[in-house]
Amino acid sequence: MNYAFWIISAITLLGAFLAVTLRNLVHCVLSLILFFLGVAAHYFLLRADFLGAVQILIYIGAVAVLILFAIMLTRNVTGTEGPREVFGMKWWSGGVIAAAVAAFVLQAIKADSVTAATSTTQANSSVAEIGKALVADWVVPFEAMAVLLTAALIGAVVIALEEVMRRR
Amino acid sequence: MEQLYQLLRSCSWFAKVPDCVLFWVSVAVPIGLVLAVYPAIFAYTTLIERKALGRIQNRLGPNRVGRWGILQPLADGAKLLTKEDIVPRAADGFVHWLAPVIAVIPSILLFAVIPVGSGLIPVNLNIGVLFVFAISTASVLALFMGGWASRNKFSLLGAMRAVAQVVSYEVPMVLAAVVVVMAAGSLSTTAIAQAQGGGLLNITNWFVFRPWGFVGFVLFVIGAMAESARTPFDIPEAESEIIAGYHTEYSGFKFALFQLGEYLAALAMAGITATMFLGGYNGPGNDLKYIGWLVGAFWFFAKLMSIIFVIIWIRGTWPRIRVDQLLGFAWKVLLPMSIVNVLAAALYHFINPKPLAWVVTAVLLFIAWLVLTKVGAPQQIEKRVYRYAD
Repeated sequence: MNYAFWIISAITLLGAFLAVTLRNLVHCVLSLILFFLGVAAHYFLLRADFLGAVQILIYIGAVAVLILFAIMLTRNVTGTEGPREVFGMKWWSGGVIAAAVAAFVLQAIKADSVTAATSTTQANSSVAEIGKALVADWVVPFEAMAVLLTAALIGAVVIALEEVMRRR
Repeated sequence: MEQLYQLLRSCSWFAKVPDCVLFWVSVAVPIGLVLAVYPAIFAYTTLIERKALGRIQNRLGPNRVGRWGILQPLADGAKLLTKEDIVPRAADGFVHWLAPVIAVIPSILLFAVIPVGSGLIPVNLNIGVLFVFAISTASVLALFMGGWASRNKFSLLGAMRAVAQVVSYEVPMVLAAVVVVMAAGSLSTTAIAQAQGGGLLNITNWFVFRPWGFVGFVLFVIGAMAESARTPFDIPEAESEIIAGYHTEYSGFKFALFQLGEYLAALAMAGITATMFLGGYNGPGNDLKYIGWLVGAFWFFAKLMSIIFVIIWIRGTWPRIRVDQLLGFAWKVLLPMSIVNVLAAALYHFINPKPLAWVVTAVLLFIAWLVLTKVGAPQQIEKRVYRYAD
């Protein structure tokens, strides 16, 4: 189990590193997919089957494919134009933001009661538990998300509709 | 897998064999079977397809290699293996090489959660159905990578069409599967197959005999055909428009790998369809005492091949549809229909004399179908006027 953790972590970090350093945008997205896959593998390693499958379904099946779809239609994907060096002039501002986010996340993990409990028992059926939590305890945030997504969908249709009207 | 391990462990012959050997054997046997059986079915599916298409098109089909062309798949394999592998100079070498590999992996992974018989499943995941959808979306990556890395306009067009098509048909397909999950109360493929057992001759409890099950079955088969880019949904590789789409620039065994991935995905989807709607391994005699599992496996493969045959039949007889028709069909007909279907499945669950529930949901679904396909459609098709061709 431990070996698996290190191997998967190495692959995940490699994917993340390549995603920000490669010149070709499509290669970047493909390494980003490798990273998503690594995260999904970590979920599987933690016995969170549902989360792992959803990670693949949403991040690789939807998000990455949409990014690819958008990039495919752009002209300059090879990265031959534009600034050459990966570490631009403002690299320190990015570093500060990354450090701040990392500190915040670490703080949150330390403060969290779940990790403090360090229980070794496993949830017997994660899917059923997640489903019950979503429609019982967290039904209001869940519905709010649904409303948000519906609004986004309608917004997309309205934008597309305007273009169609203008073309006529 | 675990069952095989338990079986080996409990068997007195293997009492002396160390634990880890038994473990690796119980891992290797299902993997070996999946890797041996399904590609063999794939090889002969190509032969069946060519024979059936030949019959439909009033010709003989392959008949030179062996009797009835029975060795044709071997000859095809040898030919593709020995062909030159051409990579275009402008192509992106690594991605071009990786695409056919990625095309095969998800298709093989799908077979991990398909129960062939009662308890005969490589891995009994409790999220089986979700796993299927997660893995099958990954196959679109291969199409994209192949199309993009070839640096060919036709390949890129094919890849674009493939992505648009797969993303659109994913949604109604998942919603069509949701009814089955609702009825079985589980995402596990074994539990879904078990839920359809019993009844008269182990047949009457198949989900396809419920109104929502039938609609879900049709929606799912359409979605599966679109997802694996089979005619009439084969616009990503429409020969008459864009040569061969995303695999235009592939030759030799890489091309064969694309074909393998596509056919294996179709086989896996047929297997999933059989499991979710046609009762999987349930059939007359699958609960017999010692040979029950064999009968179950027979029924499963019979159903799988029947679905494959229907898909081939459709390919032989239907014309290809246009891109706008394809996307319009997915979003305007399939998606609303699948949402109504989810509602119907819920109604069926809560209305209590089941014959009444059957009638109510059937009427509801029929009305939905009428509204979606007939209302707003032109009463009669106008005569086409050709501006330049006359």
